[in-house]
Amino acid sequence: MAATFTLNVNGQNHTVTVNNPAMPLLWVIRDLIGLTGTKYGCGQNRCGACYVLVDNVPTNTCLEAAESFVGKNIVTIEGLSPNSSHPAQLAWIANQVPQCGYCQSGQLISTAGAMLAGYHGAAIAPQIQNVCICGTYPRILQAVETL
Amino acid sequence: MSETESSRIGEKGSQKPGRREFLAVVGSGLTLGFFFDVVPRVAEAQPAGLAGPPANTQVNTWLNISSTGAITLTVGSSEMGQGSFSGLAQILSEDLMVNYASIQTVQGVPATGLPAIGNSIGTFGSSVTQSNYWNMRLAGAAAREMLVQAAMNIIGDQTRANYTVSNGVITYTPTNTNISYGLVASAAARLPVPANPPLIPDSQFRYIGTTVSRVDIPAKVNGSAVYGLDIRLPNMLYAVVIHSPVFGGTLNGPLPGLSPGVTAWVPLQVVAGTGRGTEATGMVNAVAAVGTNTWDVWQATLNATIAWSTPANASSLNDANFSNEANSAFNTNTPYSAGGPNIPPTLYTVEGNLAAANAAIAGAPKSIGPLYTLPYVPHNTLEPLSCTVNYVPGVSCDVYVPTQFASSVLALVNQMTGLPLNQIRVHTTYLGGGLGRKIEVDYVSQALQVAMAIGQPVMLLWPRPQNFLRDQFRPMAKVHIKAGLDNNGNVLGWSCINVSPSILAQRGYPVGAVGDSQATEGTTALPYDLGALSTQWVSHPSPIPVGFWRSVGMSINTFAVESAIDELAVLAGKDPYQFRLGLLTNPRWIAVLEAVAVLSNWTAGPPAGHFYGIAICAYANSIVAEVVDVSLNPGNDPDGQPALFNVNNVYIALDCYLSVNPGQIQTQLTGGMVHGLNAALYGRQDFVNGVPQWSNFLQNRVIRMNQMPQVAWTLIPNPAQSSQSVPIGGVGELGVPALAPALANAYFKASGNRIRTLPFFPNATMSGITN
Repeated sequence: MAATFTLNVNGQNHTVTVNNPAMPLLWVIRDLIGLTGTKYGCGQNRCGACYVLVDNVPTNTCLEAAESFVGKNIVTIEGLSPNSSHPAQLAWIANQVPQCGYCQSGQLISTAGAMLAGYHGAAIAPQIQNVCICGTYPRILQAVETL
Repeated sequence: MSETESSRIGEKGSQKPGRREFLAVVGSGLTLGFFFDVVPRVAEAQPAGLAGPPANTQVNTWLNISSTGAITLTVGSSEMGQGSFSGLAQILSEDLMVNYASIQTVQGVPATGLPAIGNSIGTFGSSVTQSNYWNMRLAGAAAREMLVQAAMNIIGDQTRANYTVSNGVITYTPTNTNISYGLVASAAARLPVPANPPLIPDSQFRYIGTTVSRVDIPAKVNGSAVYGLDIRLPNMLYAVVIHSPVFGGTLNGPLPGLSPGVTAWVPLQVVAGTGRGTEATGMVNAVAAVGTNTWDVWQATLNATIAWSTPANASSLNDANFSNEANSAFNTNTPYSAGGPNIPPTLYTVEGNLAAANAAIAGAPKSIGPLYTLPYVPHNTLEPLSCTVNYVPGVSCDVYVPTQFASSVLALVNQMTGLPLNQIRVHTTYLGGGLGRKIEVDYVSQALQVAMAIGQPVMLLWPRPQNFLRDQFRPMAKVHIKAGLDNNGNVLGWSCINVSPSILAQRGYPVGAVGDSQATEGTTALPYDLGALSTQWVSHPSPIPVGFWRSVGMSINTFAVESAIDELAVLAGKDPYQFRLGLLTNPRWIAVLEAVAVLSNWTAGPPAGHFYGIAICAYANSIVAEVVDVSLNPGNDPDGQPALFNVNNVYIALDCYLSVNPGQIQTQLTGGMVHGLNAALYGRQDFVNGVPQWSNFLQNRVIRMNQMPQVAWTLIPNPAQSSQSVPIGGVGELGVPALAPALANAYFKASGNRIRTLPFFPNATMSGITN
């Protein structure tokens, strides 16, 4: 049963129609809205590659139906700042964090969410549960210590 | 562009392009094309059944200096997080005498450009810097001297000493006249390439040996970096693959019907050159659902009724059977015969003499005979496999793919479409990890089949479970080592027999008298004094597809060899570090061991309650040693599983001869170590009646921030970087192999328990996830 609804992503409203109302937010963001910075990883709400901020809270998007996010403020990696100027993005560049980079959208969203929740410096690190296969964790720690 | 219109420099008398040889092209600005040596692994990784252009005949990389002064380095190899794009630009900027940041590095498209970037474009074997260092140095120097010569022709003074170069500007010092590179670039292209351009002395290096910022990082913090799944083409459809649940199974019924969002189903054959083991050419081992978005077609593959055949040998494809086959293979007496069928199990003598080794061990006062067992291990790249194809029959084929092997993709497209190479464009995207899996082109062949069937651009995805289930796994292995000591701790005899399936044989390569080199690496050419020596390999008959996994055979054999050396040290009653030093005369091995001992403060030892283990190995011209610090933990780990121990610290020492970017070496060593740690703790795939059992990170858990050890590292300095006689070592895989044995050795020191079977925690699961 097709469904049509409107999502607010990065401050803009997007009206989308899905064939299957169970379509998760991740695939609506990627395939229907066309923002590809949010990544598909495990598909089970675990690895964190698909994180976006939902009302300022880092949230997995690969399982929960997109329609349940109607009325929420959704921020993807593309909306974190207009020009890579979010302090976490600057810290990631300054500390040369990414290797392959595939998990880093999620790592940055986790970090931004922790900052919004009032965490600073090394206290951010325990809030980051994202998987990184490349082993960038020491650089992530180094970067968040500056925030 | 024919060769008569170009000029070359190179090795004397060489008609074939080789390393240190450039092709200058007359055109817009100055263009130099580079050739590079084919490392043996490139030739081996290309499937034998896949026709392609002959190796080593085309350009790998080119440098262009435009008439506006823009400098572009077009690189054939892939960027998968190892930082090689930046490293190559860093090297080039030195002798070209430009600012590193002024070089724009671009991903090359094989068979296009002037000169055409060609084959042998593979990114594996820790080879990019190894293969290209001197190319970059000499190309930078040659281009600089051609530009200066063009400036001299304009000024009319041929005295080279009257010209200086700085940051891409040539200055004629008598009149203080400045000439930019761009102004003379087109004129320079018409000059001969100098045979021996002078190189910058080490003392004047501005970039080599320093940590500079990577060019790919800004795009990786704002979502703009384009990976395989991020391609969007007009009218593009989405396809999702599902394979037979059983290896060797084929489609055995009609394709499912269409449903909302699903516009087509396409049966997928195994294409010649891409099948391994159970997967024979022509069999329909998978189908793809095609439609307007990923989710709808993915769900269709899960919900539709699809009938698959069960192959006759399915009941033999079990872990218990693989283990029994390995055990009996140790007793095989079928020797390799040149030109013979050599059906597994076949015994290959790699080094030494078994009878002499056995006699020495039998006569030794003390001996050991441990058996080390390793499972099949999947790759676990976080970015799943994907490939996007835009095929216009008879006209063009554009392929957008995260690949470690663009030239193999090119050959495959050529084979499947019949299009000439110059009508095929292989666009390598960023790779969200390669780890060896993206050397293969099975997923590319599937995307092509879908595109050819539906007549529309299509992106094909393997959802996460397919990546785990249908991997080409690190081979399972059993390694039996026997060794004997005299009463002074000298090794009198050493016998090592590795039983494992052959990656190269599954690719159609005839395995020679000394076996599959990638199965035996790490057991051979050991610099230890091991007395009467025998090294053998027995091919295992399992047809489960196997492939190249970061550091390949090293990650298997270093676990066995360095665990056994540790067991010998215990038997001799000696310190494991001192025991190794006593067996060595090789100065590089000794220096690396001493460096890791200093770094870890080995002699004083770890703090109370902590325990050290050590291991060392050589690979890709480099030598690496690791010390792991563990403490026993009777509680649970962060995911609520029994922990046994915490890994507190890892100390790494590396001799790679040459350090281009120390910061990148640090991250590669750390990343390799983490890859080795994940596999040692959790990595495995199990098989029941041909069905792989684990489809997600549940049973192939990976460590997160809360399990990450502290890492300290050191490099062995090399005093003579600029000598072209000094070899260059690889880095990308070096962190992997020594971790598992160093960890097992540390855990033995802590607990008295010797772990000889990996992974450490076969039953540990990641919380919050299902299979």
